[in-house]
Amino acid sequence: MNRFKTLAAAAAVATAPSVASADCGISDAGEVNILTNFFDTLELLANVMEECETDDLKIDVKLTTTHKEERERAFEASTSPYDGSAVANSSITLLQAKGQLMPLNNLVEKYRDRFQIEDQMLIRFGDDISAIAFMANAQHFFYRTDLFEKHSLEVPTTYDELLAAAEILKSEESVTYPFGAAFGGSGGWEVANEFVNLLLANGGQLFDPATSDPVFDGPEGLEALELMGKLSEYMSPNALALDFLDVKRQLQQSEVAMAILWGNEANGMDDPNESIVVDKVAFAPAPAMVEGGPPATTFWWDGYVIPKNLDGDPDLAFRVMMHALRPEVVAENNDAALWIRSNYVSTKYSEAVVDSVMANAPPYPMNPQSALAHGALGNNIGDFLAGKESAAQSLADASADYRSAAMDAGLLSN
Amino acid sequence: MKTRSFLAFVAPSVVVMLLLIAVPLVGIVYLAFHQSYVKTELVDVTVEVPTFGGQTRKDTRTIPQPVLSEDGEAIRVWEFVGGRNLAKATDIDGLAEVVTEARSKGGAKGFLSGLYREVTNIDFWGALEFTLLYTFLTTPAILAIGLGLALAVNSVTRRLRGTLVFATLLPMIVTPIVSSLAVYWLFLDNSLVSTLIYNLGLGRFYFLADQITIRTLIIAYGIWFAAPFAFIILYAGLQTLPRDPLESAMIDGANEWQRLRYVIIPHLAPLLTVIALIHIMDAYRVFEPILVFSSDVYANSVQYLTYFVLAFEDNVHKAAAYSILTVLGVVILLIPVLRHSFREQKASR
Repeated sequence: MNRFKTLAAAAAVATAPSVASADCGISDAGEVNILTNFFDTLELLANVMEECETDDLKIDVKLTTTHKEERERAFEASTSPYDGSAVANSSITLLQAKGQLMPLNNLVEKYRDRFQIEDQMLIRFGDDISAIAFMANAQHFFYRTDLFEKHSLEVPTTYDELLAAAEILKSEESVTYPFGAAFGGSGGWEVANEFVNLLLANGGQLFDPATSDPVFDGPEGLEALELMGKLSEYMSPNALALDFLDVKRQLQQSEVAMAILWGNEANGMDDPNESIVVDKVAFAPAPAMVEGGPPATTFWWDGYVIPKNLDGDPDLAFRVMMHALRPEVVAENNDAALWIRSNYVSTKYSEAVVDSVMANAPPYPMNPQSALAHGALGNNIGDFLAGKESAAQSLADASADYRSAAMDAGLLSN
Repeated sequence: MKTRSFLAFVAPSVVVMLLLIAVPLVGIVYLAFHQSYVKTELVDVTVEVPTFGGQTRKDTRTIPQPVLSEDGEAIRVWEFVGGRNLAKATDIDGLAEVVTEARSKGGAKGFLSGLYREVTNIDFWGALEFTLLYTFLTTPAILAIGLGLALAVNSVTRRLRGTLVFATLLPMIVTPIVSSLAVYWLFLDNSLVSTLIYNLGLGRFYFLADQITIRTLIIAYGIWFAAPFAFIILYAGLQTLPRDPLESAMIDGANEWQRLRYVIIPHLAPLLTVIALIHIMDAYRVFEPILVFSSDVYANSVQYLTYFVLAFEDNVHKAAAYSILTVLGVVILLIPVLRHSFREQKASR
């Protein structure tokens, strides 16, 4: 990630899909502040929320890729300056485990009919409804159909096949490198995410659920990391400095022939303002780590939460957020995401995500230990990919970092 | 001046300094010596998550859940841990281990290279290495370049000077994060510079792919960014240069280099000290290019670690420990400069 890159890219594109203005039906006076991540779909929802603004009602949606840092501080304070926030299944876990999320059960009952809130949108921890989800996402395989045809390649179903295809595509002159994946971005979050995808698909786990001890440095993890090393040979030598937006651009500008990218970036491939490969990119589930195993990806959801410590009116904040999630918004912006709504019509841009889930791709692990393990991996596996140390050493360093962080968080006792 | 009126004059700045400098500093120290977390217990929780097309997936997992107090609030543990966070931040245990391990390998050369590799593999020491490298390379460079620029601008006709001063100051005016981003974009794959090199037939060059180029790039950026600061101060200093000693030197037959060495530089010496002082403080806190280049594998900084721990370990206490280490580092680096200027002041009295 580079938030600044995101910001600049978003500013440069500035093509927020239009939404017919609707009467919001909210006449309350007050102020609603929402904090969210920054990508196209969330920007679209922010625009819908801001429609509700009146002379008496101020609505401010802050879109930033540093949402995680800000949210953790805000929800921990005595009162949160934000009345609501968008989270994903990775970021909800620490908040939930710290008891910072307001159960939304009463609000859902009160407004279920008005906003047609569907059961599938409710994220439940035990009896509590902790979040309202609106979109699903997963990383999957993107590839250039014209180049695959030219070299008579099949869509790889395993990483061995992907490596074989990459070897053949090395000779292709219209692209600079065969493959792209997000190994860069600050804090190593994205490279760690690639590792988690491969680890889980290889039958590994991040930690032992019974004790919270790290187990990602076992043989499954070692294989996963060594595979990443092999993949990096087919990627730009600058890969450790390239985040998912750079990889998206590499594909759009015909610098790579195939890539692993987020599902919601798929329709960007056919945007003639950004892409020179319109209609030449197709999508498939991520390859498997083991023959016949699940695709090496995890699936994600994005949703809205309300903190316990907000200083505004939770009822008002809830209505503003739900206004953006109405079925009409989904209908008008069907291609913008894989919406979690029954009126969503699946398209070629979302098929690969759906197929991944059908093929048993696991959800990204929802627990606070995962977030810490993910951070520790991000801080260490780059050393192996940069050729500074062995894969085993990188994983051992990550394991030690995880232990230290988990002890500080009170999740691990020794 | 009477003590009373002295105190009355000084009091406002003392209060402001206490409030804005001392209090936060004490707060950071307090945070660093404590650790806090929400008390959790492992509980089986059934989590329901959506997939698509109206389906959901139910999972029962063992998840840490907050232990609640009687009034339903999560219990927050807040404990005094002494120097634990500082020890963890500098990884004293790891350091000791590394030293014994490297010693067992035998051979002076093997010992030193093994030691260097292992020590810089520890977050803090690796970050400290680049932070110091950055500080020590950029400081003399900006002094030299700033002086050169000041002399050059000072020697052109008066009419052009305003424009030149403005143009020279531009790198300083642009927000560091934005200028880091601009530099990053210049050196990416298929960027302006890479494409230019490729079209000149020099092959593909990867600036962000190994340690030496990425470090050179960040240091060059640092010099480009901070040189205008040295320039503007030295340029102002040159305006106060008395003509008499310069003319006497010329009459005595001093050439240009001798005039620079024995008249101009001594006149500017106090300013050079001030610039070094301020730049060392700034350079030690290098952050933006590290973040934007996402270069922490090759070039890390102590300030970046503070951010990383806060953002990805969610640990304000350990982050506070890194902040203390940053402040300590700056203070240690400043001691020689401060001693030098103190002695100078004493001598001139």
